[in-house]
Amino acid sequence: MGFKHFSLASAMLAAVLLPHVASAALGEPEATVTDDVQQLKGSVKSMQRSNYRVHEIQLPSGTVLREFAALDGTVFAVAWSGPAIPNLRQALGRYFDVYAAAAKVKHAGHRHLEVQQNDLVVQSSGHMRAFSGRAYLPQSLPAGTTVAELR
Amino acid sequence: MAGITRRLARGAGLLLSLSLMSCGGGDGGGLVPSPPVTVAPGPNVVAVLVDAGPVSTTNPTANTLYTTVTVCVPGSITECQTIDHIQVDTGSYGLRILAPVLTLSLPVAMASDGNSLVECTQFVDGYSWGPVALADIQVSDEIATSVPIQVIGASTFPTVPAACSSTGTTAEDTVAAFGANGILGIGVFEQDCGNGCAPPNSMNGFYYSCSAAACANIAAPLTTQVLNPVPLFAADNNGTILVLPSVAAPGATTVAGSLIFGIDTQTNNASGNQTVLNVDTIYGDFTTTFDSQTLTQSFLDSGTNGLYFNDTAFESSSACTDPNFLGFYCPAATHTFNATLTGVNNSAKSVTFSVDNAQTLATNNPTFTVFPTLAGTFSTSPNSFDWGLPFFYGRRVATAIENRATAVGTGPYVAF
Repeated sequence: MGFKHFSLASAMLAAVLLPHVASAALGEPEATVTDDVQQLKGSVKSMQRSNYRVHEIQLPSGTVLREFAALDGTVFAVAWSGPAIPNLRQALGRYFDVYAAAAKVKHAGHRHLEVQQNDLVVQSSGHMRAFSGRAYLPQSLPAGTTVAELR
Repeated sequence: MAGITRRLARGAGLLLSLSLMSCGGGDGGGLVPSPPVTVAPGPNVVAVLVDAGPVSTTNPTANTLYTTVTVCVPGSITECQTIDHIQVDTGSYGLRILAPVLTLSLPVAMASDGNSLVECTQFVDGYSWGPVALADIQVSDEIATSVPIQVIGASTFPTVPAACSSTGTTAEDTVAAFGANGILGIGVFEQDCGNGCAPPNSMNGFYYSCSAAACANIAAPLTTQVLNPVPLFAADNNGTILVLPSVAAPGATTVAGSLIFGIDTQTNNASGNQTVLNVDTIYGDFTTTFDSQTLTQSFLDSGTNGLYFNDTAFESSSACTDPNFLGFYCPAATHTFNATLTGVNNSAKSVTFSVDNAQTLATNNPTFTVFPTLAGTFSTSPNSFDWGLPFFYGRRVATAIENRATAVGTGPYVAF
């Protein structure tokens, strides 16, 4: 019963079953995708890509939120597109405050926003009724993954 | 909306560099914009201008277009207020006024459950929270009565729901933060949200029912949403035409133009031989063919301060590296591009545009607010080209409202 027997699957199951603060996905274990689905009242479908998994959450607002999980189970990126900006505090989790602080410093008007730090990149664009954006952890991108795929 | 220097100048570093530059000149001889394209004056024409904005000393804006709007308590001809520096925005829908500017007491609109109707408006750089209020709106001689508008940052609803503040990073509820005293959304749609916020879609994230105790999500029927006032005018209500003079690079301190209401309704708003690009009915977008890319979610937007597009090669060679100019292009020399804009009706028109170094533009021209060659990256969407205010310089750009007919077509469309 030691930790060595603790598989990823059982860890994920435990994370789902145990009571916990519903923190969001970016930088967190893949199991937190479930929290996002629940908190954001969305529905999810998941797809396997060559070097990561994509969990696509359909939100009630009509916006689609995609969460990208590396094969080691860490969510390294989230991306969204649709008529509304999703709850970024939920989707960015512990990175939201970093984003908020950086975004306050300066940006390029109401329609385009870019935050670039060593450990976090957030890009958000769009106009009323049509938004798109993404946040990713540049140091956690799986090998062979390009930023352009994160949409 | 709001601009390069609006935001860039907020960084202390840039303010310093701008002030250091200001005694050295470097504005390239202060190019004077071309004379405005002639617009016959009329009751359907209001002046527009690009200048440093309402907080010009500490929060100067760039490529931000303003006009003046009069609002009245519904039915009153005495309880009225004329407000300048209202941003003209073809990329949003409805009138929003910053509460600190508003001296009138406007009636708050009622949600379907009898509580107050309050909205969380999303901008990419922040959120604007405030009640929906009813007002009579007058722009030029055009009047729309009892229109739902938003009063941003009203003290009567101080508590922002977490779901609202979690969509953005900054409360855009002060004139300085907003870069304008308000915003006049005159894009192709009638409502600011549409069916996505109408019953039964209560979890829309935009509209809330607020009692004294708390706010909860609620659906808002179409006619109660914040509304584009143009289709509510008694006449000249099928769209707008923005007319701005061309401005030579690197730019100008200010530029003046005209906003005409109606298309083909008066002698001063004839379509002539303009190319009509119908836009889709969901996003209000058309297709731009550019750099071997087919960008199906492209839009004209007077509320964007630059031209924003993806070009992988150009981005790798010319993206700005200075943290104050992140997201803009900084090519070593002026770069000229061609693009073709195609409507969903397959009507097409080609354009040429130039991009200059954003950092050089701002640093060398500290008194300028007009930058026709300002451009940046649109990294988040593989399908978009955002034709911001630089596109409008030197053009006569029509925006036809959804389901409204003109002599040359039926909205939603843009034409130029």
